[in-house]
Amino acid sequence: MTRAIKGETPAAEPDAPRKVALIAHCLLNQNAKVCEGARYPGVVSPVVEALRSRGYLLLQLPCPELAFAGARRWWAVYEQYDTPAYRAHCRRLAQGIAPLIEQHLRRGAEVILIGLDGSPSTGVRFTSSRPDWGGRPNRPDDDWEIVARPGVWIEELEAELKRRGLPPLPATGWALDMGRFDEAGSRRDLEEFLESREVAAGEHGDDSAP
Amino acid sequence: MTRDARGWHMALVPDALVNPPDLARAALPDVLGILATGGYGVLQLPPPGEHGVLLAVIADQVAEYAHHGYAVVAVGVRGKPGGDLHWRRLAPLLRHRGVALPPRYLIRPDGDAAAEAERFALFLSSYDLPVEEQRRWRV
Repeated sequence: MTRAIKGETPAAEPDAPRKVALIAHCLLNQNAKVCEGARYPGVVSPVVEALRSRGYLLLQLPCPELAFAGARRWWAVYEQYDTPAYRAHCRRLAQGIAPLIEQHLRRGAEVILIGLDGSPSTGVRFTSSRPDWGGRPNRPDDDWEIVARPGVWIEELEAELKRRGLPPLPATGWALDMGRFDEAGSRRDLEEFLESREVAAGEHGDDSAP
Repeated sequence: MTRDARGWHMALVPDALVNPPDLARAALPDVLGILATGGYGVLQLPPPGEHGVLLAVIADQVAEYAHHGYAVVAVGVRGKPGGDLHWRRLAPLLRHRGVALPPRYLIRPDGDAAAEAERFALFLSSYDLPVEEQRRWRV
């Protein structure tokens, strides 16, 4: 479905891509995960296959955590990344990627966002929370809670898109960081989301759905 | 948490190979699929244009990986300026961060795609860091 941009009538160019999926960095590169967080060697193939089979082009988001805290960072929850310095870092990244998103939207493309649910940064529907985490990193496994809100990076990205007058992106998250990972459930969830996009495109009389 | 499955390998890949145009697709190997099968992660480069912030962040990430035991390669397109890898911008950014330039493999866009896929897969499977470096970091 083509999303309206304030003050403009979007017109799909014949050669312009019409379906673009912004995807969390680690869905193409599991090496970006914190230690013990990688569930695949590199590419998360179920996500890539689901998107490519429906004709989506892929646009990988930068990984804010790796660029900020490095490859050997500790695990963290939302509250530990909710700092002015990390938000400024995320805003800089958002300002770097937003022109590409804007370009696709202004060409009339449908742009969706696939984040990483449970992540303190890239969660879309859910993030991990534990306000008292800090100090010596000796917490037991699964000591955090899942709360229904986006991660810090997604909040800053959405704020940058809003600042540019762009519409909110239809979004969901691959539930990799929700504690116990259920690949089959995540796959069903993603398929349902993508099918809902096709239904929405059909209802709006748009011909971008296959 | 479960055992970590990371492959410790990744490739810088131009947008044109992540999202090949319809007309070019038949003449190209499925780069993304071959990387996935080979256990490589992907660092997608932006399409041609000015992308100062994104390239700087990508260079930061490559430096971080290169300094911590990850094997990084670059996969470009033969016949395109800099392999479509923003090489004129990216190479100095990497040098400035003290990173040796990753080995480059240039995909031939105009030959036998199946044979090219085989060559590319062989390149990927044969590249790694020296064993001492692997032992130091990959625990």
